[in-house]
Formats: sequence, structure tokens, C-alpha cells
Amino acid sequence: MALAHFARRRSPISISPGMGIFIMRRWLLAWLLLAACRPSGRPAGGLTVTDAAGRTVSLAAPARRVVSLLPSFTELLFAMGAGDRLVGRTAWCDYPPAAHAVPSVGDGMPPNVEAVAARHPDLVVLYHSGPNVTAAEQLARLGIPAVLLDLNRLEDLGPAARTLGRLTGREVAAESLAAAMDSLAARPPRPAPPPFTSIVFVVWDNPPIVIGRGSYLHQLAALAGARNVFADVTVPSAQVSLETIAARDPDWIAVLQDSAPPGAPAFATRREWRAVRAVRERRFLLLPGSLFGRPGPRSAEAVRELRARIEGVGGASR
Amino acid sequence: MRWALLGSVAVLALLASVMLGPAAVPWGELAHSDIVWNLRAPRAVLAFLVGGSLGVAGAGLQALVRNPLADPFLLGLSGGAGLGAVVALALHLSGPWALPLAAFAGALAALGLVYRMGLVGGAALDPRILLLGGVAVGAFTAAITTAIVSLADAAELRNAFLWLWGGLSAASWDSVLLLALYAPVPLAVLMAAARPLDLLALGEEPARYLGADVEAVKRRVYLAASLLTAAAVAVSGVIGFVGLVIPHIARLAWGHHHRALLPAAFIGGGALLAIADTLARTVVAPRELPVGVVTALIGVPVFALLLRRWTIA
Amino acid sequence: MSPPAPILRLRDVRYRYPGASQDALADVSLTVGPGEFHAVLGPNGSGKTTLVRLALGALSPAAGRAEIAERPAHLWPRQELARVVGVVPQREDNLFPQRVRETVLLGRYPHLSLWGRERPEDHAAVERALTACDVAQLADRWVWTLSGGEYQRVRVARALAQEPRLLVLDEPGVSLDLRHEMALFELVRGLVDRTGVGVLMITHQLNLAARYADTVLLLSDGRPAAAGVPGDVLTRETVERVFAWPVTMQSLDGRPQMVPLRQPKEPPA
Repeated sequence: MALAHFARRRSPISISPGMGIFIMRRWLLAWLLLAACRPSGRPAGGLTVTDAAGRTVSLAAPARRVVSLLPSFTELLFAMGAGDRLVGRTAWCDYPPAAHAVPSVGDGMPPNVEAVAARHPDLVVLYHSGPNVTAAEQLARLGIPAVLLDLNRLEDLGPAARTLGRLTGREVAAESLAAAMDSLAARPPRPAPPPFTSIVFVVWDNPPIVIGRGSYLHQLAALAGARNVFADVTVPSAQVSLETIAARDPDWIAVLQDSAPPGAPAFATRREWRAVRAVRERRFLLLPGSLFGRPGPRSAEAVRELRARIEGVGGASR
Repeated sequence: MRWALLGSVAVLALLASVMLGPAAVPWGELAHSDIVWNLRAPRAVLAFLVGGSLGVAGAGLQALVRNPLADPFLLGLSGGAGLGAVVALALHLSGPWALPLAAFAGALAALGLVYRMGLVGGAALDPRILLLGGVAVGAFTAAITTAIVSLADAAELRNAFLWLWGGLSAASWDSVLLLALYAPVPLAVLMAAARPLDLLALGEEPARYLGADVEAVKRRVYLAASLLTAAAVAVSGVIGFVGLVIPHIARLAWGHHHRALLPAAFIGGGALLAIADTLARTVVAPRELPVGVVTALIGVPVFALLLRRWTIA
Repeated sequence: MSPPAPILRLRDVRYRYPGASQDALADVSLTVGPGEFHAVLGPNGSGKTTLVRLALGALSPAAGRAEIAERPAHLWPRQELARVVGVVPQREDNLFPQRVRETVLLGRYPHLSLWGRERPEDHAAVERALTACDVAQLADRWVWTLSGGEYQRVRVARALAQEPRLLVLDEPGVSLDLRHEMALFELVRGLVDRTGVGVLMITHQLNLAARYADTVLLLSDGRPAAAGVPGDVLTRETVERVFAWPVTMQSLDGRPQMVPLRQPKEPPA
């Protein structure tokens, strides 16, 4: 910074021709040194954030052309009124309906860097994962700012909304959105409602994979008043024995299912699954992936929907 | 004496499978528990049948290709099964038996392909080509499977790989019955070939001069061992090391006398898989390890020990 | 009293391998009866192996007849044939460790039923075979610990355990040292004399064949160069013609013994 000051300061004294050349050479040298040590992408007075991967991302001005590589981010951007800035989304981004008008850049797993770059964005928003870090670095090499955000649990929603708000210049709208989502995620902490039923989320049947307390689905269930019988599993999802599910005897079996016809999941007809009471009594909750598949601004609505289905209002599957 | 020991191990393994598990079932209630009768018992029996099938298939194959490193999954069957399963998932085939049937069909297709490759000069099977062909077909099917998974709906197909890693989660009396009806035929064929396999250890020419119908024996052993393996994969995915290690352990006590070795490999394989499954269910309860991981963790040190013995002898 | 029927009879057999430009064997006849030791000699590529295959029914002659116990060789069911003919092939590749007794017991396979166990008479036959081949004291040893000569005798014992009427040995003395090779020939001669088994032996050892065998067939390019008693077959002219090397003949115990002469190459002038 001192060198920059030196380079820009005009010399107030009169200069003889020989000295002039000497000073000019020094300015040239200083300018070259300055150019070499100025960090890229840091214009004075721009927006700067540090993302979940510890990367520093700076924009000169609020982003006007955003590519979102996660449906939740797409929803958040629309929810804070920045939807008109979206120039690219993933094929999975299906909410709100206006998102369909935004061109798709592929399924995002892994991100198609070329397709993203072809949209000429000034900001790309990605979910924080290993492959996405690589994609972000590739985008940065192309001069496209890319920010990686965590979005695993409900408490990640507020910070994500605030970051997106800053980067798009929609801080005010983002703040009220974030406040609502923080409240949902119990920040500041407050006791959860006492559970009145028990539930298991089955992600896969052979081998059985269930959701543990590391997942936002666990949080949704708790808010809806359902105790996850696998709350002792710390990770988001884990393989368990079928007999454990049977022994823990949940009241409900929740399955994320979009395409299957209403009724029961495929494994319900298998003989070994009938050892689980909820299967015998056909107490299934078929939850739409769009609403339940990821944390997002509609998570509060998801909690209400879950509760309604459990209480038998609004079409719980029998 | 050896048989008594093996029998006791097998019985204990089965008892442990039924009595132990992540769900706490009070001992008094064991006899009446739904979990024990409808989940643990069929799972224990299925583990025994699958492990036994793999053990016998491994023993037969090692004698057929005259290579102590042969494993039932060197024949390309697991690759074919995986491809069948992934295709079934990609096509969204429904029904509780869709996946096992598709895997079985895939394994049979791989079997046919490798068999065809192994036929030299019309009718004679060359065991070395069977091995090489198996490896080639396995690699080929794995490549196609990976391509399908990477191009299609990723999440569901990734879970197909979990199935392929091996597990007895889908055990029920239905699958036990199916395997119990299916397995005796290839098992009987292998037992009938026990003596000729002893002769085959001397080489094809000496075996022929001792009266063995070498071509018929090779064909039958290859097909029977492959059919057993295909059924095992269809029912429980790829469970490695059982077919490789159990025949060697059995040979320590019974030598190369196949009339004793094959039954011993069956009982030993069954016991090993039952024990491995019990461990898979209990050591990280409530979570469960893929059983193929446990057999590898047990099998690799045992195999290393056997290798040392080999190189010293 | 008519002589006993021959166990093996080849009559004017001819055979050409598929795709070959000439016959591997042509106009060959040979008879081996009980208590007869018949040797087949000839240079490399003269058709000795083809002859064995035809004799054992592995190949079917294009012309002529190959009969075992008066039945065409290639029509014999395999297991039945193994009860009549015991073969000691040139190569054996026993990968898996075994004890001597177990490997000789394999010779009883032709006599066992599909599901039946080994019976006392099977074990007795093994004992007799082990004794006859002078390897009874090695019965509990691991095969890989045996010397070449001992292993060869064990293989003969296995063939004997089949209780055959004919023993076929394909170059059994290859890679054996003097003592073991002599011991093997003595063993075979002893078996022929004591048990009345017939023997067909392929060998390179002209001199040993001359001393131990009753009849000899000398092949040259697939054709019989001479056949009969050793004294008639192994003459200097015949041997020199067939083997393309100068020799001189001597006599030992009334049998011809061949001594090859030196033929040093002249250095180029």
C-alpha cells in the first residue's frame, strides 16, 4: 500500500531532465512492483466475503449475473428478491416456478464449468463439497468469482441467506429471511417441543440406510414433534440392521419419494420388512423431495406439512 | 475329530447369529421373538448357505484352474451381477425380486461370455483362458456399470453400489427357501466331481489316463461353481475372501482329498460368513458394517499367514 | 496251446494330424502280450508320442487298427480302459502337496464307484503296488521331499495300483541319474517277470532297451525302420541310417550295445 501511495503521489518539486528520467524509472519500477503484489480481485471499496472453504471472494459491485448450483440457493435468491439476477441454475432447481425460466447448466454433480462460464456470470454459488472446491478453483482461474456455502442443517440457512444478500446487494430482504430461518433453527437456543410420536427416515432399503441426528431431516422431525429413533447416530445417514429398526419400533416410516405412485414404497412388500410394525400397519409418510429433500426457505412449511401428515390431516399415506 | 471341531464351530456360529444382535432381545423371549424368528434366524441360515456356497465354489475352482489364488469372483460374475443390478435400477424395474433377478441374469450373461471365451478348439475348456477371460469380463462390465452410474440419476445408482458391496440385509425365509431349493443341484454336481478333481491335480493328461472324463469334469465344475456364485451374488452382493481363504484353511486339515475338502469348505464357509455377519451387525451397533468389509478384515490376515506358510514350506 | 491273446495290438496304423503335410505315423504294427516288454525307439519327431496316443485311443487311426484286448482302443470307455492300462506319462505337474500313499491311492480311481468309499481291497492294492515298486518305506512321506528317482517309482506304483494288464511308460528315465534309471529298468523288468504285466515303453535309451526289452520297434519319420528282437533290430547299418550318426556295435550278455563314434568338425581352412 505504501508503494501505491508512492507511485501515485505527484512530485511537487521541479525536475531537471536527468533527474526526470531517474524519477520516471523509479515510478516505472514502483508501478511494476505494485502490479506484482496487488492481490487479484480486491478493488478498493468492493464486497468481500470469506466462504465456507476459507476462500476470500470479492466483488466490485453487487452481483448482477448469478449462477446457482444448488436448489436451496436458487430458492433463497428468489425469496430475497434477487431471482431476476439468476442467469443459470441446476436441472434440479424446480422452485419457485419462475426458476424454470432460468437456463439450466446441467445437474451440477459435478458442475459443468464450461456451461457455467458460458452464462458469463459475475458470481457462482456452490454447495461446499470436495468436488465443488475444485470447480470453484477452476472458475476462479477463469476470473469468475465462486463462493462455497455450507447448507447441511437448518442453522446454515441464516448465514447462507445473509452472505447471498451481501453479495447481491439485497441485505435487507435477506436479513428478514435469515431471521425467520434462525428462529426455526432455534437460534437463540430454546427447548424443542416435546415429541408425541416416533419416526425413522429410510433413505435406502437394501442395505437399510437411515437418517441420524446430523441431518436437517432430524431437525425437521424434532420441530414437528416426532422423535427420530436413530437420534443416537451422530452422522447424517448410516447403514443399520433391519432388526434395529424393528426393535426401536417407530410409529412412522418416512421416505423421500417423488416419482413413485402414492401408496407404499417398494420395500413394503418384502417379507423381512414386515418385521417392522410400521410396515405391517402401513404407516408410511411419503415426503415430496422438492420440499423435504434439502433445507431451504420453505423448511418451516416442511415442518408444518410433516406435522399435518402425522396428525392425519392432509393426506398421510395409509 | 476335525469334523467334530468344525461342526461345533458351525453350530456355535449359528447360535451366536441368532442370539446376538444390535436389538436387545431378552434371553427369555428369544424363542418367541418376532425379530429372532423373522429376521435373525433366516439371516443366519442365509449367511450359512451363501458362505458355504462360496466356500465350495472356491475350492472347486481352485482345483479346476489349478491355481490356489482363484476366487469365485475372478470369473467376472460379480461384474455381470453389478451391471444387471444397475441396469434394473436405471430402468426403474419394480418388485422385490427385481434386483436379485437382474443381478442373477447379469451374472449368467457374464458366465456365458467367459465360458465361450474359454472354449478352445471347439469343446475343450482351457482353465487359464477362463481365468483371463473372467478378469477381462469383470473389468469390462465394471467399466460399463460406472459409465451408466455417472450418466444417469446419480443418487439411486450410487446406492446400488452399496448393495453390491455385500450384505445379508434382505434375508428372509423366502430367500432362504429359494437358495435352499437351488443350491443342492450344483452342490451335488461338485461333490460328484470330487474324485476327478483329485485326479485333475496331477494334470489333465495323467487324469485322463487314470480314467477321468476330463472335459466333462471341467465343464461341470466350472458351471456348477459359477451357478453357485451367481446365486450368492444375486442374494447378497459380492462378499469377498470367503471363496478364496476357506478352501486353504480347510486344506490345512483335510489336504487335497476333495471328497472331504468340499463338505468341509461348505461348513467352514458357512460358519465364517455367519460369524462375519454377526460381527457386522454388532460391533458398531446401531450402525452396521458391510459384511464384505468384515470378511476382508478377517480374511486378509489369515491369507497373509497362509502365504507365509506357503513360502516357508 | 495257443499263445495268450495280446493286450495291445496295432495293425498297419496310419495317422496324420489335421493340417499336416505328411503322415505322423504310417504302416506301423506292434503287439504286446502278457509278460512282454516292448520298447519303442526313434529319434525326436519319429512319431513315438503319436503311437502312444493311438494305442490308448486318444486318437483314432486313419487306417489300420489299434486294439486293446481285441477291442478298438478309441471305443473303450475311459474308466474301463484305466482298469486295463496303466500309463506313466512323461510329464506330471502335481501342484498341490500330497503324501505318497495318497497319490498312489489315486490309481484306484478306475475301480471305485461314483459315491463309494475306498474299500479294504483298494488299500491292499496300494500296499502291493508300493511294495512291488520298493517305495513302501516312503508311504508317509510328502511327495515334494522325494528325489527324482523315488518320485518316478511312486508314479509307477500308482499305475500299478490300477492293477492293469498293460503298463505304458513314456520316456520314464528322462532326468534320472544312472542309479535311478537303472533301478527303474530293473523294476519294470521285475514286474514283467513276476506279475506277467505287459509293458510298452517309449525311451531314448537304446542300450537299456536292448538289454531289458523282449521286442523293440525302431521308428524313423513315422515309419517302422525295424521291428523284432533287439539283436535283429539294433544293427549298425540300421542305427546309423535312422539316427544319422556313425556308431559301432558291441555285445553284452548277448544283447547289442551301441557306442556312438566321434565326428569332430574340421575347422574351416
